[in-house]
Amino acid sequence: MNEVTLLQNYLILSGLLFGIGLLGFLVRRNMIVMFLSVEMMLQGISLSFAAWGRFHHDWDGQIMVLFIIAVAGCEAAIALALILVLVQRSQTLDIAHWQHQHEAGQLRFREPLVPEATVTTPIWPQLSPAGVEPEPDLEAESHRKRI
Amino acid sequence: MMSGQFLLATIDFAESLRNPLLWGIFCGALALGLLLPYRAQSARLPGLLLAILGLGLVVAALPAEFHWSETWIFRILVIITLISAVATIIMENAVYAAIWFALSLLGTAGLFFFQGAQFLALATIIVYAGAIVVTFLFVIMLAQPDGRATYDRISWAQSSKTGSVLTAGLLVGLLTATLGHLPDTGLSPPDLPNGILHEDHVAQLGSHLFTAHLIEIEIVGTLLLVALVGAVAILIHIKEEPSNEPVTEHE
Repeated sequence: MNEVTLLQNYLILSGLLFGIGLLGFLVRRNMIVMFLSVEMMLQGISLSFAAWGRFHHDWDGQIMVLFIIAVAGCEAAIALALILVLVQRSQTLDIAHWQHQHEAGQLRFREPLVPEATVTTPIWPQLSPAGVEPEPDLEAESHRKRI
Repeated sequence: MMSGQFLLATIDFAESLRNPLLWGIFCGALALGLLLPYRAQSARLPGLLLAILGLGLVVAALPAEFHWSETWIFRILVIITLISAVATIIMENAVYAAIWFALSLLGTAGLFFFQGAQFLALATIIVYAGAIVVTFLFVIMLAQPDGRATYDRISWAQSSKTGSVLTAGLLVGLLTATLGHLPDTGLSPPDLPNGILHEDHVAQLGSHLFTAHLIEIEIVGTLLLVALVGAVAILIHIKEEPSNEPVTEHE
């Protein structure tokens, strides 16, 4: 296997993953998707570290990736705890809800008018009836949100 | 010394314009601009077509001087990783985003395997896909409201979305324009015994980890403990506060 070509491929790929993650972090407003994007940036960096480690015949690249994984685990725990607290307070995952924390002089983001989402109820397959129809349990059905 | 040559590689714009990789990234950035959630659902189809075109260009342009079977395995892994990475950030439903992210992690783990980093591949699958993504899914089920929320359907304003797409595309494009035309001469791996491809891969990694990096391991262990305690400390008061205190009025 050509080592230089391998390194080039992995660096390009890690750049692409990092760019996609950066884009997701900048564009999305759902806090959970934003944190997924951060994890994706970390994946890009990890690929790059492992590629350099292989190229230089050095273990330190892979060891750095192990540390990245550990720190990403810590980050996920703390971040998800924070998200739960924020959701408890605001009842929404929208990061724009917290924009009153901005610096002085920044423009406020105003929600543009959007058309309502068209909800299409999916058509589920039907089984042909067989046997005795059971009594519907209305109480149990009232607990379910859908399906 | 060798990384210095990477830094010195200058960008030849005329030659970069002939590189299909750059056009692939251009198509991909355009497709992402169309695919990211903003109002118009009608932009999905041209966005998808552009994304497929861009992906094809990128995959075809990756320099592949391996055996043909290795080349195709590598291409399949790249396709899986990139498609699921893009799907992660364009999905309006956060549950789908998390599941696509798990698939993208599987692709990354495959890429680690392809490189000979066996332990990293396993650790990625076990820790990331097994623990972190599952935690994400738990939080989504606790926190996600029913149906599609407005903030998932429109993201930010159109101008900031375009700016972000351009920024990311430019960043990656410049990087690849630099990397895509490295002179092959003069760049070679150091002439050392390659432990990474050794059959005792995991044992050697472990011995290196617990000798040269012993203190870092201890620090990371402490960090994990602190994060655990910190997460509990953040969440332990959540029930005592009234849930609908007037923090702010939503605009």
